[in-house]
Amino acid sequence: MNNVTQIVQKVRQAPWRVQHQWIGLFLLALVLIAMVAGIYLNVTVRATLAGREIQTLRNEITPNQRDNADLETQLAGLTSFEAVQQRAEAMGFQPTSPDEITYVAVPGYVAQSAVDLSTPSSVLGLPSSPVILPEYTESWFDYFMNQQASSASAGGQP
Amino acid sequence: MKRQPHTWRYLSVAFLLAVLGIAILVQIVRIQNSPEVAGVINQGDYVWKDFFPPRGEIHDRHGSLLAGNKTVYEIGLDLTVNPDMPTVMLALQMSGIDLNEVNYRISLAPVNAQYIILDDFVSTHKAEQLMTLQKAAHSDPTGKNLDAVYFKAHYARSYPENDLASNVLGFVTEDNHGYLGIEEKYDNILAGIPVRMLVPADPRRATEYPTIPPGQTIILTIDRKIQAAIEKILDQALVDTGASSGTIVVMDPLTGEILAMSSTPRLNLNDYQSITTVFPGETPFNRAISQAYEPGSVSKILTMAGALDSGAVQPGTVFFDTGSILVGGFRIVNWDGGAWGNQDMTGCLANSLNVCLAWVSSTQMGSDSFYSYMQRFGLGHATGIDLAQETSGRLKLPGDGDWRPVELGTNAFGQGVSVTPIQMVMAASALANDGQMVYPHVLYAQIQAGKQSNTKTQIVGTPISANTADTISEMLANALETESSAALIPGYRIAGKTGTAQIPLSGGGYDENDINATFIGWGPVDDPRFIVYVWLEKPQSNRAASVVAAPIFKQVVEKLVVLMDVPPDVVRLQMTVVPGSSTGIGR
Repeated sequence: MNNVTQIVQKVRQAPWRVQHQWIGLFLLALVLIAMVAGIYLNVTVRATLAGREIQTLRNEITPNQRDNADLETQLAGLTSFEAVQQRAEAMGFQPTSPDEITYVAVPGYVAQSAVDLSTPSSVLGLPSSPVILPEYTESWFDYFMNQQASSASAGGQP
Repeated sequence: MKRQPHTWRYLSVAFLLAVLGIAILVQIVRIQNSPEVAGVINQGDYVWKDFFPPRGEIHDRHGSLLAGNKTVYEIGLDLTVNPDMPTVMLALQMSGIDLNEVNYRISLAPVNAQYIILDDFVSTHKAEQLMTLQKAAHSDPTGKNLDAVYFKAHYARSYPENDLASNVLGFVTEDNHGYLGIEEKYDNILAGIPVRMLVPADPRRATEYPTIPPGQTIILTIDRKIQAAIEKILDQALVDTGASSGTIVVMDPLTGEILAMSSTPRLNLNDYQSITTVFPGETPFNRAISQAYEPGSVSKILTMAGALDSGAVQPGTVFFDTGSILVGGFRIVNWDGGAWGNQDMTGCLANSLNVCLAWVSSTQMGSDSFYSYMQRFGLGHATGIDLAQETSGRLKLPGDGDWRPVELGTNAFGQGVSVTPIQMVMAASALANDGQMVYPHVLYAQIQAGKQSNTKTQIVGTPISANTADTISEMLANALETESSAALIPGYRIAGKTGTAQIPLSGGGYDENDINATFIGWGPVDDPRFIVYVWLEKPQSNRAASVVAAPIFKQVVEKLVVLMDVPPDVVRLQMTVVPGSSTGIGR
């Protein structure tokens, strides 16, 4: 029994083993630090790139909106009442009078109603501001809690 | 202790990993604190940024753009880089920019100014010409470039239809404030207010970017085609009759939606600076809401409606017209000075007998009942229409310092009382709409966050019963048919009334030479779709509204029935939609 204890003690206290233990611990610490630093750097860079892209897109929105407004106004000018009337007259059309009209009953005909300029619901569903992925905002704790919650729900009752 | 022979490998790996880790940390710290980044972005840094949200658009009821936005430029000069002024001025001149304006602005600049605005609201075309010159001069070997010239794009109001519906729309000045009409009334919701704000420069804080709401888009009840039609008719009417001004209003009597509204003169809204020339002196911008006048006989429809509703008279009540009547000590006579003998109430309206209506108000109704009805019809009060600068007219009441007893008689036929066209249209809506008087409005809907909310119909009162409204409409339709009015439209039964009114002089008495000619009418009588008000001021071709105003009404209605798809009465009654079926009328 004493022999076994002595052997274990010798092995444990062997200088090269102690040295290896310290080196191993140091390497582990270094690896952990490098991992954390690398992840942090990666996330920061991606967040910065995304933010820069947002800024660029925001800067592009304004001139695009102005271009849209310009084009819309130009189109309205080209289709203004006077312009359309002139084109119609040039094409040989003329205003009608009540006695030139024949009315017929049309099943399902729906009289022209006022315009609805609501944005279509499919477009309304789109987010009005850029979506920031949770990877860029959540903490490690949030991440693990979310993972746990999602795995719990995945394995839960149907 | 003997060192293991392969220990150096472990140490090497440890050293390399340590170097790698330290290198990463150093890189992080270096990036965070690098002068390149610090020079542009520091965490917590904010930069000033200008936001020019677009002003809300204005559309007609079918979506046609009546007021939109266009890009214009502010052109500035950076004085810190010592620009070559002759080169700059030459380039501005070559681009078509007004040098007088530029010189004026330069003269106003402070001595130590670092940046001056050379011109603003410069068109895209001119700005692009200057940009082209700037590019060409950029590499000029003599250094006479235009690099100090800066361009700042922003919005300006634009009206694609020029003067169409200008009396309704109003305009926007360079300081982005709306004046008159819709632009002033809804300035607070239309205006996208330009702001200069601090925004985070750090891209990692991009989500903190402020949201500047644009102006809300609105839709008007105005129908562009009807508006254009009545403006054309009105312009021609002024030429034909020699009237000094004219006004036409078209309203849906069931909803109060103004389908068209025009008065003269009109303004090209893209050249609003000429307003002082187009509207000299006290000329109202929109006579339909801002000019009160004595309407004359058109107000007889209100008197008769009140009398019928109160039971003071019946349609068959007979009045023996001797040609005059004394009210408050003054003698009132008919428009022709004649005596018309026995007349029922329809005859009184058809022949527009002042004596008969003065008898109705003074003898049959009495002042309490008469003025009560006039107030219930909204006379003397602004309608509250959503247009800027509405006036309320004047209905003098017993007890007022300047009211005289004779006015109980004269008010019955529209003299001694002043109203605006929109007041008369609102009051008449009760006659066309089963006794329910509707709130006249121009806003059909507004768009907020992509959702459209429509203006609901508002009943502002029920001055008369539905039965009375039907009765007076029938009487007026019969009256038009009896007199073979020039307002009649073949195939359509219309109710209406002319009004030829004397114009009061500021010093008292009435103008002997000029009159106001008015016609108000609605139809089809059994299912009113429109109510039309025509007013010509001081027509020269004839002094009778039945001759000058009634034909204008007819022209308007002939356009309306086409543009609004209103078939002739016979056709409409044959094709009346069976409840629950989907059959409609097309053409």
